[in-house]
Amino acid sequence: MGSLAQVLINGILLGSMYGIAAAGLSLIFGTMRIIFLAQGAMIVFFAFVCYWLFVKVSIDPYLSLLIVVPFAFLVGLGLFYTLFRKAVALEDKNVSLLIAVGLMYLIENAILKVWSATPRGLDISYSGATLVFWGLRVSWLRLALLGLALVSAGVVFVFLKKTRVGTAVRAASEDLEATKLQGINSLWVCAISFAIGIGLAGVAGVGLATVYSFDYQFGFVFSIKALVALALGGIGNVFGALAGGILLGIIENLAAYYVGIAWIEIVSYGVFMLVLIFLPQGLFGRRGLVKKV
Amino acid sequence: MANQLLEVKELSVSYGDVRALQDVSLEVEEGSIVALVGANGAGKSTLLKTVSGLLHPKGGQILFLGEDLGKLNPKHRVDRGIVMVPEGRRLFQTLTVLENLRLGAYLPRARATYDESLERVFGLFPVLKDRKDGKAGLLSGGEQQMLAIGRAVMAHPKLVMVDEASLGLSPILTRAIFELIVALNQQETTVLMVEQNIHMALKICHKAYVMRTGSIVLSGSGQELLANEDVRKAYIGERGSRL
Repeated sequence: MGSLAQVLINGILLGSMYGIAAAGLSLIFGTMRIIFLAQGAMIVFFAFVCYWLFVKVSIDPYLSLLIVVPFAFLVGLGLFYTLFRKAVALEDKNVSLLIAVGLMYLIENAILKVWSATPRGLDISYSGATLVFWGLRVSWLRLALLGLALVSAGVVFVFLKKTRVGTAVRAASEDLEATKLQGINSLWVCAISFAIGIGLAGVAGVGLATVYSFDYQFGFVFSIKALVALALGGIGNVFGALAGGILLGIIENLAAYYVGIAWIEIVSYGVFMLVLIFLPQGLFGRRGLVKKV
Repeated sequence: MANQLLEVKELSVSYGDVRALQDVSLEVEEGSIVALVGANGAGKSTLLKTVSGLLHPKGGQILFLGEDLGKLNPKHRVDRGIVMVPEGRRLFQTLTVLENLRLGAYLPRARATYDESLERVFGLFPVLKDRKDGKAGLLSGGEQQMLAIGRAVMAHPKLVMVDEASLGLSPILTRAIFELIVALNQQETTVLMVEQNIHMALKICHKAYVMRTGSIVLSGSGQELLANEDVRKAYIGERGSRL
């Protein structure tokens, strides 16, 4: 029983990372109607930024959030206006999707050039600190990751629900053309939601750096995991995406515990396929990757 | 001469190689209701979309209060007071009624009159006040049409362009919506409406234009067109009413 609880806790903590990434994907998908496949590469890039800040100027990773997240937001705005400005207006979303694929490989290879293929990890003084209760051991860093995920989801949720621009983002993810008719600058709304999505990649990047070792190729897998989380949670709300991520984390840990580590990917992609086939709107979302007709 | 709010001069619009509008000219006098009628595919919606800036003309001019709108984007047209209620309503279904209305008053000019506008909308459509915290998607068809018009009113418009307001509504609701459009007009908002319910549209409008395959083929006051034998035969039918 104790070890099952341990497995669940590990799953929740791992899954919170997928959740942040999925929340970013969800926001970007909402307005741009593409799966932003470069999300994982962006996350790894920001993990390297966090790594550099730690190694070169010894900034604590959690403190570096204050630098990395605003930086990620600005990178998001910049990328949007240079790469997607024209493409978002097109009926055919494949152009945007292909730009994202190109961007993914560009970032991966830029990371390879700058930081080499050696896997990196942060050697944080308090990384061994664990919280022990009822015989369960939880690393403080991983627990902080869950906190980080909840806080970011909360911030995005409040932004979407309570602000004028946030309301416009929600409206735009329903009907972009109709927002234009309200006098809303739809390009700016797309840019903002993209930049917030990339800001979340910044959060996930820092989280990744504190707990895992990572290299330039790690991003693609991460994008796919986020996509699975998104399919589980359903598009349309940030907490759905977060819950999808946590669920995926739990599934992976259960698979590792009961059927063996080699089965992790088979089980999680199996679940992914099953959800898409039988519950395309996701478990918690109002709608799935595909809009209901 | 009466004050022209909107003047469309020899407007031509194409979708790729297909010409949708050919040298269309019309005028909308300030304070009036103008109806644009004709069969499906005649180019009525295209005209509204071009005036609102969603489509760009191949040729011709659109003047609003004497100003050439040129290539102004939709946002700047809304800011000048040109607001469209699109066909199919296009509400934000998962947002609340109040959120939809707030988005109607998105621009600073409209936000300045938010409270008055909201009062005006709730005055015209009391049912929206009762359901302001409910999701727009849960409203009935008639209520949704009211919300779509209300959302346009929130923008503090000078010209409201209503595309097929009666589409999909029962005869009773259609009548109610038309009465509300008249009420809106009496509050000094100019209305340009596209309608497939030609009989009703001609009854309430001051002036009407009949379109066929991208051109205007006939115009006159609503009464004149109602009396016109060709119009009756082509669009209204023998019994005189489609209601």
